[in-house]
Amino acid sequence: MNETNFAEMQATFLEVVEKLTFMFGEEAEMDEIEVGDEPWVEARMKFTGDLNGSLAVIVQESLQPEIAANILGLDADGIDTKEMLDDALREMLNVVCGHVIMALVGQDSNFDLFAPSNEVLPSEALQVLMSDSATTAYLLDDEPLLLHLQIEQG
Amino acid sequence: MAFNILLVDDSMTVRAVIKKALTLAGVDVGNIYEAENGAVALEVLDKEWVDLVFADISMPVMDGEQFVTKLNESGAIQELPVVIVSSAGSEPRIARLKSLGVRDYIQKPFTPEQIREVVDSVMGVASHE
Repeated sequence: MNETNFAEMQATFLEVVEKLTFMFGEEAEMDEIEVGDEPWVEARMKFTGDLNGSLAVIVQESLQPEIAANILGLDADGIDTKEMLDDALREMLNVVCGHVIMALVGQDSNFDLFAPSNEVLPSEALQVLMSDSATTAYLLDDEPLLLHLQIEQG
Repeated sequence: MAFNILLVDDSMTVRAVIKKALTLAGVDVGNIYEAENGAVALEVLDKEWVDLVFADISMPVMDGEQFVTKLNESGAIQELPVVIVSSAGSEPRIARLKSLGVRDYIQKPFTPEQIREVVDSVMGVASHE
């Protein structure tokens, strides 16, 4: 991915997330991201077509209620099941993924999105992601968020 | 006139957001039915009277394109307005879906106003045919 595409991806991601969650997003440096003690949750989905690969959104568990509540237009207290929290994170990823792919390869591109899945990331896997150049860091309402875009070559 | 509406999406979040948007937009809603994929949606349509369908594209078991194809093959799509709500709507795909009879397309994320405009447009056209 060249620098123009990279900037396009970041701008698209922030625009879509703000529109979907009504939360303020900004780019961050990886060394601004504090891992802390609480679990990090990853939502990941594959895509195929004019662009093949996968996209993942990774957040701390404590951010999930706010994301879900903002998407649903509810109080965070009203989001009471892990299923709802995980579904909302998957949906945020789903929306972001479609926009990012079209930003990278165009509105006239052909692609298929596959069902996203969630998992709690082991700390070793989180460290690997954070040191991967395909991972970008953001702050969403001042809380850390990682985006990992893996594009298959060839 | 109250519309019976079928929401077809594997995400409960999206189904909840569309329901809320319909309310905020002031759409006169009768019954709302929900289906997590196209196959379940076809079962609902066999049993219930539905005026309008909002359907996603990417779903397990039977996706939105397969669902619309089934409605096209049965001829049902001529009487039943289907609106696609998705983030996977590239121009070629939307053109293909419209050729199968889909009335309109809403890109996620959407606003209640966009939902209102589409309901007005789609149901207005349908009621004058």
